[in-house]
Amino acid sequence: MIPSAPETPGELPLWPVIEGSSAPLFVLDEAHRIVLASAGSCRLLAALAHELQGQPLARYLAPEFALADALSAQEGAIARPCELTLCPPRGAPIPVEVVCDHCDGPGGRRLSLVAIHDLTHIKILDQDRLARLGKLSLLNQINEALYGARLTLDQMLEAVLHCVTADQGLRFNRAFLLLVEERAKRLRGEVAIGPSNADEAARIWSDLADQQHDLFALMVRYDRSCKQTDVAVNEIVKQMVVPMGHGDHILVRAMRERQAFRVVASEIDFPGVEDLRRWLGTGAFAVAPLTTRRGAVGVLVADNAISGKEISDLDLEFLQLLANVSANAIENSRLYQELQQRLADLRRAAQRQKEDQKQLLRMERLSIMGETAGVVAHELRNPLVAIGGFARALHRALPEGDANRQYAGIITEEVARLEQIIHDLLDFIRPKKILRKLVPLDELITDTARMYEGQMREHGISLDIACGAEGVRVRVNPSEIQQVLQNLLMNALQAMGSGGRIAVRTRLQPGCVRVEVQDEGPGVPEDVKQKLFTPFFTTKPSGSGLGLAISNQIVKGHGGTLACQAVPGGGALFTFTVPLPRPHPASPEREQ
Amino acid sequence: MQKRVLIVDDEPHLRLLYETELRRAGFETMSAANAEQGLEFVDSMRPDLVVLDIRMPGMDGVEALQRILDRDNTIPVVLNTAYSSYRDNFMTWAADAYVTKSSDLGELVSTVRELLHEETVSQ
Repeated sequence: MIPSAPETPGELPLWPVIEGSSAPLFVLDEAHRIVLASAGSCRLLAALAHELQGQPLARYLAPEFALADALSAQEGAIARPCELTLCPPRGAPIPVEVVCDHCDGPGGRRLSLVAIHDLTHIKILDQDRLARLGKLSLLNQINEALYGARLTLDQMLEAVLHCVTADQGLRFNRAFLLLVEERAKRLRGEVAIGPSNADEAARIWSDLADQQHDLFALMVRYDRSCKQTDVAVNEIVKQMVVPMGHGDHILVRAMRERQAFRVVASEIDFPGVEDLRRWLGTGAFAVAPLTTRRGAVGVLVADNAISGKEISDLDLEFLQLLANVSANAIENSRLYQELQQRLADLRRAAQRQKEDQKQLLRMERLSIMGETAGVVAHELRNPLVAIGGFARALHRALPEGDANRQYAGIITEEVARLEQIIHDLLDFIRPKKILRKLVPLDELITDTARMYEGQMREHGISLDIACGAEGVRVRVNPSEIQQVLQNLLMNALQAMGSGGRIAVRTRLQPGCVRVEVQDEGPGVPEDVKQKLFTPFFTTKPSGSGLGLAISNQIVKGHGGTLACQAVPGGGALFTFTVPLPRPHPASPEREQ
Repeated sequence: MQKRVLIVDDEPHLRLLYETELRRAGFETMSAANAEQGLEFVDSMRPDLVVLDIRMPGMDGVEALQRILDRDNTIPVVLNTAYSSYRDNFMTWAADAYVTKSSDLGELVSTVRELLHEETVSQ
C-alpha cells in the first residue's frame, strides 16, 4: 500500500495515530524523504498523502538546506524549533515553525519525526503590531511637526489633511476637514485634499513615489495651498454645511459622543449619512471628531473613493488618533491667531489713546484759556453794571442840552457795547447744549424702559411696555426725555415697594404723542398733587425733591405738559406729552 | 402801601445802584451785603420780594434761595447774577425769576413789578 513504508505497520504502534492526526506531522527516512504525512500535513500542503510519499520534505521548505541543518543539529539534543517557510505545490507560502526528533524505526531504520506549526496567524498579528508601532511613531512625528512648526491656521489644517492621505501617513484617498463656527452655530467644510478621479490619482501618487518626500516636507508646504491645487474636492467641501442643532446628524453626533464612525457601502442609512454620500459620491467613509478638552472644534471625513479599498479597524483607529492630535494643534493655532489679533487691537488702541491724549491736552489748554476768559469777563461785568447803571442815572437826571448829559450818554453806550462783547464771549465759551434731534419716540421709550427691567424684577415688579406710536419721530433731546421717563419709573418703583405691575404706554394724539407711566402704588393725595412739581418738595424720606421738578421743566422745555392723575382702584398715572414736529417742508428744521 | 424789596449783593456799588433804581420805581428797599444778613432781614423785616445775587463770599445765593423757601415759600425771589450759566443749574429753578446783570436795569425793574403785580408804572 505504501511502497517505501515498512512492511508491517504494526511494528510502529503509533503509525495510524500519526496518519490520522490533524496536526501537520511527517515521518522521514534517513534520506529525509517523506515516509508518512499526517492528515494535517496533507491539508496544509493541499496535497494527497500518496503525492507526498517518497518526496524529500526539503522540497517543500525554504530555504531548502534549512531542514538538513535542523535534523542534523538536533541529533541527540533537545528539540529546538526553527522558523521556515512551507511552500505547498499549489498555493501561497506559509510561515511555519519546524520541530524535529528522531526515533528508531522497524528493522533498525533511523527515522525522523517532523512537526510543523502553522505560524500564519501569529505572523499576521506581528504585522499588525508592526503596523501599529509604525503608525504610532508616525503620529508622534505628526504631533511634533504640528507643534514645532509655526503654522498659520490654514497651513495647519492642510498639514493635517496631508497626514490623512499621504503614503507615509494614513493612506486614505481623500480627506475633508470641517470646522465648528461658534457664532453661526454650524459645522462648515473648510478645506479638502485628494484627487478628483483615478487618472489624476495615478499621476499624483506616482509623482509622490518618485519624489520620496519625508512626511514633514509634505505636510508643511508653505508654497501652495490644496485649495488651489485640489479644486474638485474643495468644491465638495464647500457644500458640506451642517447646523449644530441637527443633533442626530452623524457629524454632529461624532463630535458630541467623541466617537469615530465608519460607514460601509451596505450600511442602512442613519441621519446625515445620505448627505455625506451625496457630497462624497461614495458609499463608504470614515468620520472622526476633532475634539479637545474644551469641546469639539470640527470633524475629519476620509474615504477611499478612488481605490475603493476597504477602511479597516486600524485605519479608523488611527484616523481618530490623528484627529485627537490635530484638534489640539488646531485649537492652539486658533488661540494663537486670536492672541495675535488681540495684540494688534491693543497696539492700535494704544496708538489711538496716545493721539487722544495729545488731543485732550490741546483741548485742555483751550479749555483753561476759555475758562480764564470767562472768569475775567464775569469779573468785568459787575463793575460795568455799576458804571453803566449810574451813567444812565446821570443821563436821566441832567437837563436836555447839558454837555454832561451827552457825556453820560456816551458812557452808557460804551458800557452797553462792552457788555455786549462780554455777552458774546460768554456765550461762545459756554459749552453748547446738547441739541435736539428727530428720533422715533417709541424706540426711545422702549429702550429706556428696558434698562430698568432688571431693577424692577429684583423688586418683583413686572414691566409692561405697550407702544402705540410706532415709527412716529419727534424732535427732542433724547437724554432729557430718557431722564423724564427714568424719574417717572423710579417714582413708580418707590411708590410700589415690591410686587405688582408698572405699565409704560405711548399713544398718538392730535399734535402730540402721549407717554404714560402707570403704577399700582398708593396713588397721589390731592394736597400733594398741588406741590408735586415744586422743587425740593418731597414726600419721601430720601430724594432731593427735584426729580419731578426737573422732569416738568424738561417736558415744558419741549413744549409738552407733565401731569398726574389718580387711577380708579388705586395707583398713579403720570403722563407727559411730546409735540409732533411742525410740518415745514419749505424750511426744514436743521439738525444741529 | 409801598412794597418792600430786599436786595442781597456783596458789591456795595451795585447795592446802591439797585436801591436807587428800585426806589425810583416806587418800591421801598433795603439791602444786605451777604446771604446770612439777607436771611436775617427776611425773618425780621418780612420783605415782599428778594433780589438775590448768586456768587457771594460765604453762603451763596443758591443755598440762600433754599433757606428762604424753607422759611416762607410765598416770598418771590429774583435771582440776579453775572453768571448766565446758572440758568442751567436746576437748583435755581425754584426761583420765581432769573435776571442777568446788566447796566440796563429795565429788565430787573419790570420783573420785580410783574412779580408784585404792580402793572402801573410810577415814574
